[in-house]
Amino acid sequence: MRATQLTPSARHARRTLLGALAVAGAGSTALGTAALAAGNAAASPAEGQRILLPFENGERELAVFPQKRPLIVLTSRPPQLETPFAVFNDGLITPNDAFFVRYHWSAIPTAIDPATYRLRITGKVNTPLDLTLADIKSLATPVEVVAVNQCSGNSRGFFTPRVNGGQLANGAMGNARWTGIPLKALLDKAGVQAGALQVSFNGLDTPPLGDGPDFLKALDMDQARDGEVLVAWGMNGEDLPMLNGFPLRLVVPGHYGTYWVKHLSEIAVLDSPFEGFWVKSGYRIPDTACACVEPGTVPKKTVPINRFNVRSFLTSTVDGDTLRAGQDTLLRGIAFDSGHGITEVAISLDGGQSWQATRLSDSLGRYAFREWKTAIRPTTKGPLQIKVRATNRIGQTQPLEALWNAAGYMRNVVETTRVNVI
Amino acid sequence: MNMNKLLSLCFALSAALLITQPASALQIELPEETARYVPSDLPGYALAQANCLTCHSAHYVLVQPHTSPRTYWDATVHKMKKPFGAPIRDEDMAAIVDYLVKTYGAERTAASAAK
Repeated sequence: MRATQLTPSARHARRTLLGALAVAGAGSTALGTAALAAGNAAASPAEGQRILLPFENGERELAVFPQKRPLIVLTSRPPQLETPFAVFNDGLITPNDAFFVRYHWSAIPTAIDPATYRLRITGKVNTPLDLTLADIKSLATPVEVVAVNQCSGNSRGFFTPRVNGGQLANGAMGNARWTGIPLKALLDKAGVQAGALQVSFNGLDTPPLGDGPDFLKALDMDQARDGEVLVAWGMNGEDLPMLNGFPLRLVVPGHYGTYWVKHLSEIAVLDSPFEGFWVKSGYRIPDTACACVEPGTVPKKTVPINRFNVRSFLTSTVDGDTLRAGQDTLLRGIAFDSGHGITEVAISLDGGQSWQATRLSDSLGRYAFREWKTAIRPTTKGPLQIKVRATNRIGQTQPLEALWNAAGYMRNVVETTRVNVI
Repeated sequence: MNMNKLLSLCFALSAALLITQPASALQIELPEETARYVPSDLPGYALAQANCLTCHSAHYVLVQPHTSPRTYWDATVHKMKKPFGAPIRDEDMAAIVDYLVKTYGAERTAASAAK
């Protein structure tokens, strides 16, 4: 299914007149667009500025895309946008206009009318379905989950030795409150037939030409029916932004963003394993406990990427900051895992020899960013390295030395922030 | 009518409209593309513009580590044709690879990388 391309006539997203009025309460009217953009600019780097990501060839442009504040441009066609890291210190919920964007193919939908939008359920089901957005919203009681979405290649630019692919710093992640219905409700409505093994997902984005492999993903039937995977239309209380999958996307809590198919258009129930390129050839990780290999080597066997590993970040202090000796500095940051739940975040000021626990704030849910806080009082003047390490309920934690794989996936090394004490 | 009154009116209207108009069409316009390939006398420059830019912005090339070896660029150009479907002529591939590695990769020189 190919997306409709309309004649360009406005820089920003705009809605039809009825639409503008209908969403006035949400603050995204046509008349509100300029104010919204201006308000955001105050808290973020400005459009046209350039930013230097801390790896070789890391200079990037900041640009405004529809419904977005100035974000770090990885690629403009298709849009692939990274969240400036400072956003993660503004709050635990990543605002929609700051949320990262990742596409694979450049034929993306730029105009969608929910009134005519359809989601089809096909394949090994008793009753194939062709549903409107209204059908879907009324099919089951809507549920909400606060969950992190993170690109498989988040932080790829930091790999040593370097690997090719999207050269991202740490901003291809975000934490949002998603609203939708369980995928299970849709599958139950259609009636999954005996022998069904997997479910595949397609969206409206397509290869721009030729016979390139359309972007489809698949989940095993057990996971598809676990009740946690959502077909979601809401993001932080608003409709999904176009570039984050309007009007419907898959939400797969605890799993890498590659599974969170955007502009969802077809769900197919399969009685044999899905063979599409983006599962069979793309997004594969070494079949080892660490999902890693010796740098420069090739894994013996690979499996599809799946759950997040554990990560944590210091957000209130960044590289190059100055701290005062003998004075308290409050530190805060975020941690997350695949949903077992973060149980401890510790910091080290001595290169990882000793660790001190931090205070965890109230949980927004086991799939969400978890805030941690602590105070330090450095005594010695000079350079200081602050390391942060999280552990989850089943004892998974982060390595002191970075792990490596050729695709640049799943970086989760203990992060180190370098400051100066005066 | 001041902004507050207008917003109030819009809000009142929205409450009424939500009943019959639960969702509205969304249309976006993407910003103008600004990334460009570095001009070069190498024959692959024109070929890169003609072929690569058909499907994606120059950024995909521009952001790669400058250490990227010829083997990477060669594998990537071939990947764009198969399985990704780009109609690149076989006889043009070597020149494209040569331009990319000499301008953005491990074989770049100060002169070839000049903007």
